[in-house]
Parts: sequence; C-alpha cells; structure tokens
Amino acid sequence: MKVIRKAKENLFIIFIAAAYIAIFIINQNMGIASVKNSFYYIKEMIMIMPVIFVLTALLDLWVPKEKIMKYLGKEAKAKGVVLSFILGSISAGPIYAAFPLCVMLHKKGASVRNLVIILSAWAVIKVPMLLNEMKFLGFKFMAIRWVLTVIAIMIFSWITAKIVKDNDLPQLKANQNGPSINKSACMGCSLCTKNYPELFEMQNGKASLRITDGIIDQEKLMQAVNSCPVKAIFFSVDEK
Amino acid sequence: MDVLTLAMWIGTAIFLIFSFTKDKKKTKQALKMAFGMGKGMLGSILSIIFLIGLILTVFPPENIAEFVGNQSVLLATVIAAAFGAITLIPAFIAFPLVGTLVHAGVGIVPSVAFLTTLTMVGIVTFPLERREFGLKFTAVRNGLSFIFAIIIALVMGVIV
Repeated sequence: MKVIRKAKENLFIIFIAAAYIAIFIINQNMGIASVKNSFYYIKEMIMIMPVIFVLTALLDLWVPKEKIMKYLGKEAKAKGVVLSFILGSISAGPIYAAFPLCVMLHKKGASVRNLVIILSAWAVIKVPMLLNEMKFLGFKFMAIRWVLTVIAIMIFSWITAKIVKDNDLPQLKANQNGPSINKSACMGCSLCTKNYPELFEMQNGKASLRITDGIIDQEKLMQAVNSCPVKAIFFSVDEK
Repeated sequence: MDVLTLAMWIGTAIFLIFSFTKDKKKTKQALKMAFGMGKGMLGSILSIIFLIGLILTVFPPENIAEFVGNQSVLLATVIAAAFGAITLIPAFIAFPLVGTLVHAGVGIVPSVAFLTTLTMVGIVTFPLERREFGLKFTAVRNGLSFIFAIIIALVMGVIV
C-alpha cells in the first residue's frame, strides 16, 4: 500500500524518468541532447533560485504587512488600491498561498476589487522576479510589461467588482475546536514544526497536526500561528 | 555569472547582513522559511526542467519559432495564453525558457501572453480558488485575467 501511495505522489517524476529511458533506447543522441538542455536550465536555476527565495523571505519579513492589512479593510479608495498592490508584490509564496490570506482580509472588510488586485499582484509583480525577467528578456521588455500589467489589473479589478458582489463569496464555515491547518494553503516551509515540534510535523511536504494528549502550549502555538507566512494555521479560541 | 545576477547576489547579501544586525532571530526564521520553500519545490522543479529539456530536443526552439511564425499572430497568442493557463511552471524557469524561445525567433506577442497567463490564470488551482472564493469570483477573475493577458501581449507587440 505504501508503495502505491508513494508512486501516486511521484507520478510526474516517474513519468519523466520513463520518458528519458524511452528516448535513450530509441535514440541515444537525442537523450544526451535532452540532458544537456536540462542542465542549462538547472545551472540558471542554481544561480538564481537561492537569491530569489532569500530576497522574497527578507521582503516578507521587513515590510510591515500587519500595518498594511490593518488599513486595507477601511480604505476602499486610492490608498487601498496602492496598499493592495504593495501587499501582493512583497509577499512570499505561490498564488494559492494568497487565497486564505485574502479570505481573511475580506472578512475584515477588504473590497472585492482589492482582493483581485492582491491576487493578481501576488501572481505577476514580484520584485525579485522582475529582476530575473530583466536578466533574460531585457530591461525594456520587463518595464513595459510591468506598466501594462499594472494598468490591466487596475481595469479588470474594477470590472470584477462590478460583476461580483460581496455576498457572492462563500460565508466562512464554523470553526472546529482546537488548532487546524489549511493544507491547500500550506507551502511546506516547515516553520511551524520548528516553532512547535511537539504539535506539528511534516507529512508529504505539508504541515500536519500530531495527535497529542490534549495539553497545548498556548504561547508556542501562537508563535507557530504567527510565524506561518501564508496564515494557514487556525485556532478557534483566537477568533474575535 | 553575468553582472545582473552578481548584483542580485551582492544586493541580497547586503540586505541579509543588514537584516541580521537588526534582528537576528527573525532573520534566522526568514532564512529557514526560504530554505523550506526551496526544498519543498525542488522535486517538482527538477522534473519540470527535465521535461522542458526533453521537449526542446524533440521540438527544437527554431522549429517552434517557425511553427509559431506560420500561424496568424492572434491564433498563436491565444494558443500561447492557453498553454500558460494550463501549465504550472515556476516563473524563474519560465523566464530563461521564454528567453531561449525569443532568441530562436518566437514572436514577442505570444511570449508575453504565455508569461502573463502562466502566473495569473490557474486551471490547476481553479478548484482551490473556487472553494475559497466561490465560482462566480473565480470564473470572473480567471476569465478577465486571460482576456487582459492577450490585450497586454497585443499592446506590447505594438510598442516593442
């Protein structure tokens, strides 16, 4: 059973490996060329990936996100738009990591338009990524695409807010007792397991709860909740 | 290593040292997060890279450029945008990949459409987004992002 589960999780990797074996059998030269092509991208990745991840984590740490979020709920006008752009651009993680954060902001009063801006900026406008784009496609390409994208987001977020109203978004479901993890948001940074190893553990690259005897160290739990970069850990008592 | 990459490394190093002097504990936490994110993504990134290597051998960039060049710009752009919407390639792989294709002669317009939908439209993440925001929001956001990605690409074709 365990073998089957493992195979399912790594289906993509197994598929790629099989494709490589096949191509080496059919045509050895093509196999070698494929590996060579891949190594070019691996080289580029090794040179750029550490910088991007560290830079993203540092921006995430030093830009006062909490303050931005506090204002976002009340400010629906120009200031809210600017804050949404900033919040989306500096945050770490893939777009699906933004979903729970946006749901939380909506609950606190952020408008539909600002949600769209945060999600889109989160996806396209990342400072480290802009530098990367400049490297491979040139400054002019990057700058023009950036300007056009910002304008486009301004327009289609406005259109979205005209079509989608606040009550079209699903209401929040009742919280269960104790801590819970939104696994689809977790991006496996494993900070919670380092803050509170007795309660959290990593399973298949995602955080999950250990079965405990029920005694929870509130302070350590709050530390883990606050350290989660995508706000994927919930704790019902904390709900106000 | 080219100048820009070097500048990024140096800039990040300075930022990191500054961050360390300001708050040692938080910086350590940020580094742990960066490392955790990287480690979590490494497997899927490597498999995507090897897939790209394979595809570029079977369909060399020059052939792709010729094929794309034979289509009408609008059709090529819509297809490129659709490709971007379906696939999940991390942006820092996508930029060198698109760089390769553009240098081989693939037009700017389809390339921009691909880059923009790649990150902004998510078919794979659609069910997830729908669960959090509802069908209407998700459909409208992804639909508009797709249309505007094509508009951005076409406008860029005029400017560049």
